[in-house]
Amino acid sequence: MRATPDFVTDAHRKGGVHPTARSAKRSGKGPRRAPEPRPGGKSIRDRQARTGWLYTTPALLVVAAVTIFPVVYSVVMSFTKVRLTHAGTQVTDWTTANYTTMLGSSAWREALLFTVGYTLVTVAVELALGTAVAVLLERLEAGRGWLLALLLIPWSLITVVSAQLWDYLYDATYGAVTWLFGLVLAEPPVILGTPVPAITGMAAADIWKTTPFVAVIVLAGLVRIPREQYEAAEMDGANAWTTFRRIVLPALRPVVAVAVLFRVLQAFGIFDLPFVLTQGGPGTATQSLAILGYRALFQDLNIGLGAAIATSTGLLVVLGCLLFLRVFRSQVDSAAEAGEGGAA
Amino acid sequence: MTMSRRTLLAAGGAGAAGAAAAALAGCGPAGPAGTAARTGPDLAAAAVVPKRPTTVRWWAARVARKDGGDLRPLLIREFNKKYPHITVRMIGAPAQTDTARAALATQIASGSPSPDVFMGDSVWPAQFAYNEMALPLRSLVGEDYWGRYPGPHVDALSYEDEVYAFPLYQDQPYLFYRKDLLRKHGLPVPRHWEELADSAAEVQRAGDADYGFVWQGSVYEGLTCNVTELVADAGGSILTEDGAGVTFDGPAGERALTYLRDLVARGITPGSVTTFIEQDSLDAFTSGRSIFLRNWSYAWGVANNPDSSAVAGKIGCVVRPGFEGEEGGWGCLGGWCNFVNPHSRNLGAAVAFARFLSDEEGQMVLAREAAVLPPLDEALGSRFVRGSDNPAFSEAHRVRLVARPVHSPHYPAVSKAVYTRANQVISGGSSVRTALASARRDLQAALKGEAL
Repeated sequence: MRATPDFVTDAHRKGGVHPTARSAKRSGKGPRRAPEPRPGGKSIRDRQARTGWLYTTPALLVVAAVTIFPVVYSVVMSFTKVRLTHAGTQVTDWTTANYTTMLGSSAWREALLFTVGYTLVTVAVELALGTAVAVLLERLEAGRGWLLALLLIPWSLITVVSAQLWDYLYDATYGAVTWLFGLVLAEPPVILGTPVPAITGMAAADIWKTTPFVAVIVLAGLVRIPREQYEAAEMDGANAWTTFRRIVLPALRPVVAVAVLFRVLQAFGIFDLPFVLTQGGPGTATQSLAILGYRALFQDLNIGLGAAIATSTGLLVVLGCLLFLRVFRSQVDSAAEAGEGGAA
Repeated sequence: MTMSRRTLLAAGGAGAAGAAAAALAGCGPAGPAGTAARTGPDLAAAAVVPKRPTTVRWWAARVARKDGGDLRPLLIREFNKKYPHITVRMIGAPAQTDTARAALATQIASGSPSPDVFMGDSVWPAQFAYNEMALPLRSLVGEDYWGRYPGPHVDALSYEDEVYAFPLYQDQPYLFYRKDLLRKHGLPVPRHWEELADSAAEVQRAGDADYGFVWQGSVYEGLTCNVTELVADAGGSILTEDGAGVTFDGPAGERALTYLRDLVARGITPGSVTTFIEQDSLDAFTSGRSIFLRNWSYAWGVANNPDSSAVAGKIGCVVRPGFEGEEGGWGCLGGWCNFVNPHSRNLGAAVAFARFLSDEEGQMVLAREAAVLPPLDEALGSRFVRGSDNPAFSEAHRVRLVARPVHSPHYPAVSKAVYTRANQVISGGSSVRTALASARRDLQAALKGEAL
């Protein structure tokens, strides 16, 4: 990267004033005023704060270097022309071309659709299954620990490894799943070579792996619900479903929110499963945003465009999560209120 | 490998993807400060072989020997006979072309002087040249140097009148077939693709094989190879000769894709071909399930070896046929070459080593010992290759090489446009015409660097 990239000038910020005009203007204005130091205020609290900052600075610098700088820099790259040259990476000229290219690309729209749809479906199924498993586990008297440990095996496997296992299972020639389908269907599907089975197969692998994670989190929430609440509901004549909806679910709100957030963040960035199983195929059926970004960045070395995909994906998932929290909170709140109203 | 895997997975996380972008482009050159870094590599230094002891780091994937071993140590030993003062240290590279590129791009684009020489795919030169990650070689070797290699091979290594890599070995495809089954049914070795389809269907009908013809149809580079040569068979190409225009959607492209689609529709090729890479198709052939196989030259050694194949001794290997009424014999050019890192601090020694492997000395070692083809004319025409009992070697000179449309610095996007659309056709997800129209749009976007 150049020492001082020429795009970081006031001229650009102020809408393209000619550099000479700008310097003339600035010299007319005189030097900028530095903020004045606050008089006095040397209380113990200030001193403590200063010491605190002193202690955390090294850690904060590391965080800034490995997290904040790369993220900010990739946002910058997504708005610029990036070229790899002998003298290093050249970042020049503010432009929105990367974003217009991205938005105008049907591949991006398809990838977005796939990623959003895949996230919604897998997370919903994982949540439902995970909650069911957790409810079941909570009622178990004996063997809960063992079952929990067994359940966690899929979760503890590295996805690239478990994806390879699924690849064997789905193999069109000798795969066990293909064989099973062959028993009931005249013509077993080419699972990873046909769009709908490929997406379903991938979702199944994802659900298999992450349902235990959701179950564990939900279980943690379940065991915290006081017995008395169940007893009270029972005395009021609430059936199992009403109890679940009006007592258990509101109480689970915080843990479910956490589980969903974790899952959405991960599912939206889905990369390893399609990378191993389908390479985004058949055609472009399982091409997620992350696969698209990887290809632009690391295969095509089209860094500006890749950064635009990465930035927009990051932004989308953050917005999605905020929206989810808002909707979820109001939903569960109203359910809880209804529950209280019903109990009264 | 670890590093590339890490970067891959970093790219995967939605949030972390940005960080990966920065990892690739973030760091400036760490090379020698001053003018050299600003103006480009020091070509004067690159032209001189140093006299003092020097170490060259060679990033290379395994090169297979005839006996199954690794040829790289022998190549280095031979080099040291000529240049005893240049030590070559080997860095193991991933064999997967995309993984290797991702790792190298991160390293070289950020100005690392190591590796000095790196082995790369022969589809990389345009991209590496455009991104200034490879040393231009024309001025270092003299004009008549390149005439000794097959024209399409040198052409593939060139970008805008420069050559960016020394050819190391060459790969080309053949048609493998079951001699015994053709004989049993009184069928000739197919003279054209239409005949192949009919013969295969006949043998399948008789119940002598599950599949007629297997090849590589997954969404990846290998499908681009299959399509490129089949389009050449039909008398066409993917791009115009200057690489600026799209010709894939012409009659040749239509004939090629229609043929592939019909193979699947008629049950001659199994539907699972949409997930096949080289190994899957080879397995189908060596297990005796398929009559015909399209694969690279290495397949002979595997398929004709009783340890790895149920059909050893029953197979034949010929140059690919063409379409009826067209001249056939095409084969997609594959291969690996050696690039010189322009940031190397030992350019002279690096060039000497990379060049040695492509010169007669290195190439004859390949001709004698390697399980891959040396591209140099003398080596390709030597008795070791021409007189080999491996038909993939002895017939090598008869293959008419067709390069993939590699002259775009955005070749990966060009290739992706070809293989995703072709895969859609063979999986039945799209008609030939629709796919070709989409491919045209994708290819045009790819050439402008705007494809995703």
